[in-house]
Amino acid sequence: MSQQALADKVGVTRQTILAIEKDKYSPSLEVAFRISDEFGVALEAVFTYQ
Amino acid sequence: MDFSYKEKSLIASLGVTLLIFGWYFYGVFSTLSLEPDPPSIVTIVLLIIWVVVLESCIQGVLASRKQGELEGELEDERDKYIEKVSHKYSYHFLTACLWFLMVQSLLDTRFDASLMLTTSHGLFHSLLLCFVLSEIIRFGTQLYHYRRGF
Repeated sequence: MSQQALADKVGVTRQTILAIEKDKYSPSLEVAFRISDEFGVALEAVFTYQ
Repeated sequence: MDFSYKEKSLIASLGVTLLIFGWYFYGVFSTLSLEPDPPSIVTIVLLIIWVVVLESCIQGVLASRKQGELEGELEDERDKYIEKVSHKYSYHFLTACLWFLMVQSLLDTRFDASLMLTTSHGLFHSLLLCFVLSEIIRFGTQLYHYRRGF
C-alpha cells in the first residue's frame, strides 16, 4: 500500500504518514487506531511505546 | 532536499517577511539615533502592498506547480498541532516584547531618560518590530517542526 493510499484511507496527509514512519510525529490515538484497522492488526503490532 | 508544499509555502512567507521588513527596519534603525525618522503612513501601506503582492505571486507559482497534488495536502491533525505550537511561541515572544516596552516606557517617564526604543517615533517602530519578529518566530517554528518533527 502506498503512503498516499494509506493517508487517504486514514484521513491525513501523505506528509503525516511520512513523519509517522520516520518517527518524527506521534499520531493521536484515533489516527493510530485507524492505521492499525487498515492493516487489520492490533495497535501494538504497528506502534510501540518507547 | 525534498520540501513539501507547506514547507515551501512557509519558506516563501518567511523570505518575503525578512526581505521587505528587513529592508524597512534597516533603513529605520541604521542611524541609531535617539529620534528615528517618524513613521510614514504611505511607507507602511506600501510595505503591506509589497508583502501581499510578493506573497500572492510566490504562493500562486507554488500552487500551480503542485496543482494535481494539492487535494491530498489538506490540513490534518499534525498541521493543526504544529500551528498551535508555533502560535504559542509567537504569542509568548510578543507578550514579552510588549511587557518590556511597557516597563521601559514607565521607567523613561519616571527617570526622564529616553532610549531610542521608547521615544514617540521609536515606540511605533519598536512595536512594529515586535509584531514582525513574532511572525518570523511563527514561520520559523512551523518550519522547524515540519522538518525535525517533535
